[in-house]
Amino acid sequence: MADNLPTEFDVIIIGTGLPESILAAACSRSGQRVLHVDSRSYYGGNWASFSFSGLLSWLKEYQQNNDIGEESTVAWQDLIHETEEAITLRKKDETIQHTEAFCYASQDVEDDIEEIGALQKNPSSGVSSTFTEVLDSACLPEESQSSYFNSDEMPAKHTQKSAGEISLEIADVDESVEKEKYCGDKTCIHTVSDKDGVKDESTSTVEDDANQPNRNRITYSKIVKEGRRFNIDLVSKLLYSQGSLIDLLIKSDVSRYVEFKNVTRILAFREGKVEQVPCSRADVFNSKELTMVEKRILMKFLTFCLEYEQHPDEYQAFRQCSFSEYLKTKKLTPNLQHFVLHSIAMTSESSCTTIDGLNATKNFLQCLGRFGNTPFLFPLYGQGEIPQCFCRMCAVFGGIYCLRHKVQCFVVDKESGRCKAIIDHFGQRINAKYFIVEDGYLSEETCLNVQYKQISRAVLITDKSILKTDSDQQTSILIVPPAEPGACAVRVTELCSSTMTCMKDTYLVHLTCSSSKTAREDLESVVEKLFTPYADIEINKEELTKPRLLWALYFNMRDSSGISRSSYNGLPSNVYVCSGPDCGLGNEHAVKQAETLFQEIFPSEEFCPPPPNPEDIIFDGDDKQPEVPGTNNTVIAKLQSSEESKNLESPEKHLQN
Amino acid sequence: MSMEDYDFLFKIVLIGNAGVGKTCLVRRFTQGLFPPGQGATIGVDFMIKTVEINGEKVKLQIWDTAGQERFRSITQSYYRSANALILTYDITCEESFRCLPEWLREIEQYASNKVITVLVGNKIDLAERREVSQQRAEEFSEAQDMYYLETSAKESDNVEKLFLDLACRLISEARQNTLVNNVSSPLPGEGKSISYLTCCNFN
Ligand SMILES: Cc1cc2nc3c(=O)[nH]c(=O)nc-3n(C[C@H](O)[C@H](O)[C@H](O)COP(=O)(O)OP(=O)(O)OC[C@H]3O[C@@H](n4cnc5c(N)ncnc54)[C@H](O)[C@@H]3O)c2cc1C
Ligand SMILES: Nc1nc2c(ncn2[C@@H]2O[C@H](COP(=O)(O)OP(=O)(O)O)[C@@H](O)[C@H]2O)c(=O)[nH]1
Ligand SMILES: [Mg+2]
Repeated sequence: MADNLPTEFDVIIIGTGLPESILAAACSRSGQRVLHVDSRSYYGGNWASFSFSGLLSWLKEYQQNNDIGEESTVAWQDLIHETEEAITLRKKDETIQHTEAFCYASQDVEDDIEEIGALQKNPSSGVSSTFTEVLDSACLPEESQSSYFNSDEMPAKHTQKSAGEISLEIADVDESVEKEKYCGDKTCIHTVSDKDGVKDESTSTVEDDANQPNRNRITYSKIVKEGRRFNIDLVSKLLYSQGSLIDLLIKSDVSRYVEFKNVTRILAFREGKVEQVPCSRADVFNSKELTMVEKRILMKFLTFCLEYEQHPDEYQAFRQCSFSEYLKTKKLTPNLQHFVLHSIAMTSESSCTTIDGLNATKNFLQCLGRFGNTPFLFPLYGQGEIPQCFCRMCAVFGGIYCLRHKVQCFVVDKESGRCKAIIDHFGQRINAKYFIVEDGYLSEETCLNVQYKQISRAVLITDKSILKTDSDQQTSILIVPPAEPGACAVRVTELCSSTMTCMKDTYLVHLTCSSSKTAREDLESVVEKLFTPYADIEINKEELTKPRLLWALYFNMRDSSGISRSSYNGLPSNVYVCSGPDCGLGNEHAVKQAETLFQEIFPSEEFCPPPPNPEDIIFDGDDKQPEVPGTNNTVIAKLQSSEESKNLESPEKHLQN
Repeated sequence: MSMEDYDFLFKIVLIGNAGVGKTCLVRRFTQGLFPPGQGATIGVDFMIKTVEINGEKVKLQIWDTAGQERFRSITQSYYRSANALILTYDITCEESFRCLPEWLREIEQYASNKVITVLVGNKIDLAERREVSQQRAEEFSEAQDMYYLETSAKESDNVEKLFLDLACRLISEARQNTLVNNVSSPLPGEGKSISYLTCCNFN
């Protein structure tokens, strides 16, 4: 597109993560001219969600991160005047580390052939072909190799290399040429049009029945073929139904761009078993695990928590104790204590005081029933939708969007110390009054004194739920307490296909904890407790009860939350920094940061007020009576207000009558 | 206000290169006017028009790109849950036609597979400057299994027809129960999908 960017803005925002996107919407909404850019080809930065092939391309990017810089960028040095200096930005992203991908699902050659046949129906499509290469360099665990290497075309030397687990980072460059050749005919697999989906499904089912009559088999090529069905979040979060993001979505009307599903279950992991935590009144009464006495004790305790402030005598004496100590005094049986501590209050054993614990429990209970019987919501198509929705709001109010747009440096006026402009990769100078930049874009020099935390993440594709029930469409959250005191609890979120984040008959499982080591070292033990690798199945019959791992990815992500502005070197006063995703379950940090920065920049402006209702803008078209053959049309334009409310479940209070 | 003031609600989404006339098509249809000058209307998110077809009230929610196509930066979420897509090019601009396969790829990636796609060649009032022949466009749309129509937002040619035909098609698709909404509709007993959170729903 031969369209030039304007060169005068009020606010330039670099990075499309959640806080930047909220700020973009807020600024644009208050009448500022906003330019919002991202160096990547997708929205969201580390808040993004990817289709399966998209995720593989993302992985590959980190694998190849080294050879960035060949691109022709116009030198900025000549564009800086004498009275100015430049603060350069980072050339390559360094917020993701230790990526390791594993494929456990079988790589059936026959499947591939079948799909290549199907491909001919739709020769025009051509999504990127990177996935096979990535997979090849990501190593395959030994168990699944037998079927994979049935293919004669597979270079033999790969076999030696893939013993054990080799991370993507150290993929052999020499092999890639050979790999390309091998992939030549496989490349097309995932380009099979969705329009053929139904048909393909039935053919493969037939084939499956022949091969493996007992279990519904998901092969790697099925995952690839249905790759579009996946929306895999880099950061795993949920929305508290009384949380600040929900409030902001509602207030700003950005909620009209996004739909949610309830998290349907809160789970606990105790003594090697996954159990459902009864949290609503109905849950408690229907629970088969709890005895009558336990039910009564739990109900009594939860009811107390809802109004604990009114009964100070019940907890005053325990103010100085930890919440877990306090729970022991409440006649709760060990499993009830576990439920309350880990799954309801979601606090850690050691660090949480009685008051914090009671408060967390109360909050949990108050969130219940706003939208369903757990306090959490999950956005359809993944968390990555949410920043995009704020970006749309910004664009609707005139914000200009430019992905794949790299910024080389800030131009700072020496005298005032204020930033005047950016210079982009075309060498274009774009002026603005305020600049907002995501932490990951700042150079090493700027961040020299910053101490970053890390988040350990795992993404798993599995074939069954970790707790099977009548319905296979459950969305669950599970907190796995640390194995030893002092370590971090691991948060597990299991998404079903109706959240639109994974293909039918699979589950997408996210594990998150704050890092002490690499993601795999931090999370693998929990993965092993809950899942079994695909190929173990034939050998180990009792393992059949566990869901099988089809594919797994581990990575570490930088956690730049909670860094004070003064830790960054030499930031001009009108440059503001947003952090990447934090480790917390909710989005409160991002929302708070966006609001705080907005109020700092524009103290007198309202933060994200509701926009005019689009339905109010509509003109009345009654004067027009178009004639369309075959139909009897009257064109009626309407002024309506949100009748959509009927889509909502009515809020119920489960614990209070 | 009544709860049920329409029989059908469809989300229609416009895409295509910047400058082909998407915004003009929407405004011509919903407001009956051809906006003079360039400036995009600030703050208009989507336009609503309720039409009556064979006695049934059909509410069309028509979404424009908010200009994000200008630098090829449309959000994926824009495509979600669209019932129909209007892919527009400018018959006087070869480039806008050549970009169509790229748009189709984006549709395939992000839109529901049950979405109805209509190809629209706009600005037929500028016939003397035509760069893309009708035949070429017809062949292309046939190969891609799309409906094809040529319009002029300026002269109001075929604009009503475009949207009303689309509404008819959407209704018959809905009748056959193959609409997008079913894909995400929850199975019994599960959390419903929650949309349009509005203030009035709580307290
Ligand atoms: C149902 C529910 C709703 C929640 N809603 C929010 C929310 O809207 N916003 C938010 O920031 N956190 C909320 N939390 C708390 C949030 O889960 C934890 O802060 C988060 O899990 C971090 O845990 P942690 O182990 O790091 O810290 P923890 O040791 O668990 O707590 C860290 C701090 O968070 C505070 N906190 C604990 N629970 C809550 C709570 N319910 N609401 C507010 N503060 C709390 C504590 O007082 C403490 O100072 C909620 C928790 C639950 C169970
Ligand atoms: N002659 C003519 N010009 C049109 C027509 N539709 C749009 N335009 C002009 O094309 C330009 C771009 O239109 P716009 O609706 O903003 O395009 P969009 O970027 O696709 O939304 C404007 O200058 C319009 O006046 C049409 O049917 N005929
Ligand atoms: Mg437009």
